[in-house]
Amino acid sequence: MNEKHPLSSLLAVFGRRNRLRLSLFPLVLVASFFPSHSAVGLSPIGAEDPGNDTYHSTASEVRLVFFATDEHNHNVQDIQKDDFAVVDDENVIREFRSFTPSASIKLDVIVLIDSSDSILPHFQQEITNVAQLISQSSWSPEDNVSAMSFAGLQAHLICSRNCRSSFTVDQVVPGGAATPLLDAVETATTLLSQRRQPDVWPVIILFSDGDDTISKASFKDVQERILATGAQIYAVDVRNSGRSRTQNATLQSLAADSGGRCVWLSEGANEIFSEVIDDLHSARVVTYALPQSNSAFHSIRILPTHNLNLQFRCRRGYYHPVAGLHQEDNP
Amino acid sequence: MKRAFTAIFLLCICSGLASAQIGMYQHGSVIRMHMADCGVTRHSFITNFGSPATPNVEEYCPEYTLLSDNVVYLIVGKSSSQLIPLAQSIDFRLQKSELAVRVDDAKRESKFTIKEMMVRSEWERIQRHMEDRMKSSEEQTALKSRD
Repeated sequence: MNEKHPLSSLLAVFGRRNRLRLSLFPLVLVASFFPSHSAVGLSPIGAEDPGNDTYHSTASEVRLVFFATDEHNHNVQDIQKDDFAVVDDENVIREFRSFTPSASIKLDVIVLIDSSDSILPHFQQEITNVAQLISQSSWSPEDNVSAMSFAGLQAHLICSRNCRSSFTVDQVVPGGAATPLLDAVETATTLLSQRRQPDVWPVIILFSDGDDTISKASFKDVQERILATGAQIYAVDVRNSGRSRTQNATLQSLAADSGGRCVWLSEGANEIFSEVIDDLHSARVVTYALPQSNSAFHSIRILPTHNLNLQFRCRRGYYHPVAGLHQEDNP
Repeated sequence: MKRAFTAIFLLCICSGLASAQIGMYQHGSVIRMHMADCGVTRHSFITNFGSPATPNVEEYCPEYTLLSDNVVYLIVGKSSSQLIPLAQSIDFRLQKSELAVRVDDAKRESKFTIKEMMVRSEWERIQRHMEDRMKSSEEQTALKSRD
């Protein structure tokens, strides 16, 4: 039998009784057709020596924080590395370099507080919850907690890294007609990006009603910035829980795309803390070799290998610049 | 006595059928997956027979590249929620023009439409060709950046 001939091989495989209609044409696999430069993962990049020569190195590892829940949306603690596979830019990945619980990761948290006029009826409840979250949550000693408020035209840093000891309620002054929500998220993401370290997990806890009125940044810009930074967003909707998904679509999307969650302030402080803090503690971190791709954007999905009742939550994807790729190739 | 023999006979037949069923399964591994349009057929049906007020909701179905010993299959689910467990090895069998995947350790099967098929040797040849092209392009890019 000549193996190189597709028809003869197929006949050999299926036999004459097989009634399948065989359409013989190549499987066009999207990835790995065009070149990608040495893979740039999400781990540290580059090193410079003190002399004139510059050494460039590229990392080739993807680091992914994810959460596993059962069919009732309860966190699943006993996840093993063979319980899931990562679909990275269509490639199914089962070989992982590491798999660890997130408890070993330090957090860099920015609490974003909406202090614009639109949330004035809920401001007192909001600021009380923020204070409780910052002071009473079970942070690890190495976690950084910062706070920013936003109203009017921009965001203001209240305290940086040391908020657990320095934050007080009277530091946030309500008022300011406009709500620069997206600008504030962009500012927070930039700040997290500037002080990014490989073993630190950037997190934004956003208290807002989700109504942006004045931002210069577009939703798409902010979305891309969040994905590029790898920051996870927990949105706390300060309005009542009766709002539909479309009414707080901005908060829902920001949270979901980053792998975070959206909760309601009216659910009460305990509920919020258990949602957010338990979530942070139940996360897992997996690392794997960056798969080859000709796309700058790698979409990510985690799926179960055995138990289809398991559900996995992670950020929607990440950016990896490919030389010679046009902007239109990005989503 | 006669009843006992009948029972044993039926038991043998049932176990034989079960083993035959298990033996029918081939093994394969899903190497790629993405969400694709659920299909032209469904859209055209909705367009022709659906009410005019029906909004055009795009649905995406999972599309898998399944690698078996001799053949590579491109299979498509019938709904967005029809997922295959992405274990290293899965059991499947061909049933008419569909591919039935054993899910949850043989408790049930999930049927997928076969979109494309290809002999594995041919598929591997194309893969090698792609890799070669990619390597040469990478080398060219590296040379350019060095210049």
